[in-house]
Amino acid sequence: MACRDIVELVSDYLEGALTGGLLADVEAHLAACDGCAMVLDQLRETIRLTGMLTQDALTDRQRAVLLDAFRALPAG
Amino acid sequence: MESARASAQDLALVERLRAGDEDAFLHLVDALGPSMRRVARMYVHADAVADEVVQEAWLGVLQGLHRFEGRASLRTWIFRILVNVAKTRGQREGRSIPFAALAGDDLDQPSFDPDAFQGAGDPSPGHWTSLPFDWHGDPEARAEAGELLRVIGAAISALPPMQAEVIRLRDAHGWSSEEVRNALDLTDTNQRVLLHRARAKVRRVVQDHLGSVSEA
Repeated sequence: MACRDIVELVSDYLEGALTGGLLADVEAHLAACDGCAMVLDQLRETIRLTGMLTQDALTDRQRAVLLDAFRALPAG
Repeated sequence: MESARASAQDLALVERLRAGDEDAFLHLVDALGPSMRRVARMYVHADAVADEVVQEAWLGVLQGLHRFEGRASLRTWIFRILVNVAKTRGQREGRSIPFAALAGDDLDQPSFDPDAFQGAGDPSPGHWTSLPFDWHGDPEARAEAGELLRVIGAAISALPPMQAEVIRLRDAHGWSSEEVRNALDLTDTNQRVLLHRARAKVRRVVQDHLGSVSEA
């Protein structure tokens, strides 16, 4: 397989979704190819950075409406 | 591999909710609300309607807590209720969105720029034309973290909505692939393709940003 095909498999590789001969081929390629190994590192870095994103917040109004609904429920 | 079943924390949270614990409810609302709002918005035609769908879903969650069995994680269970409410509402509006509109209509295209690879007439077809730009040697990459995060956030917001939500839930919020599949009603293949395209896009945006900063 060429690099153009390997890069389309890197997410599956990181997921542990590759098995058998395909996994062996991808691992062999990554061990031998600086370019694809870099892309794998970059994808890991992208995932790490995405993990640092802060969550959007609800508006106070949205929270208030939901809290009112919660309070209005019968207990249990 | 993380289980998709409810954890002990989930079960404890459900008990607190049933006991009327407002802090527990607000904590859950803050954690899931923005994602729920975005998912609801995929199925209905207006922001205000999406808000109503989310409210209706939370009511359904709270009224249905006694039925929660813990076979799926709490947040997966909540999202399944949400998607049911959203789809029903969407159908009532006569609105039916093709999957391609939510997922992106180019899922069968390469996720990486074909120009980065050698062509049929070149010495090694399919191999890199040159090494990708190296992020690690770039001192700007450390200093620019805040700006980079802003760029990443913007890139994700610009993705087709299903791609955006898959990458947010998986990589920003740490959900397992099974949780995301169940919550968003995706096949395993769909989820992996959406995630890959989204990550490849975000990687490209980061690369372009680092490249432009280093040339400044």
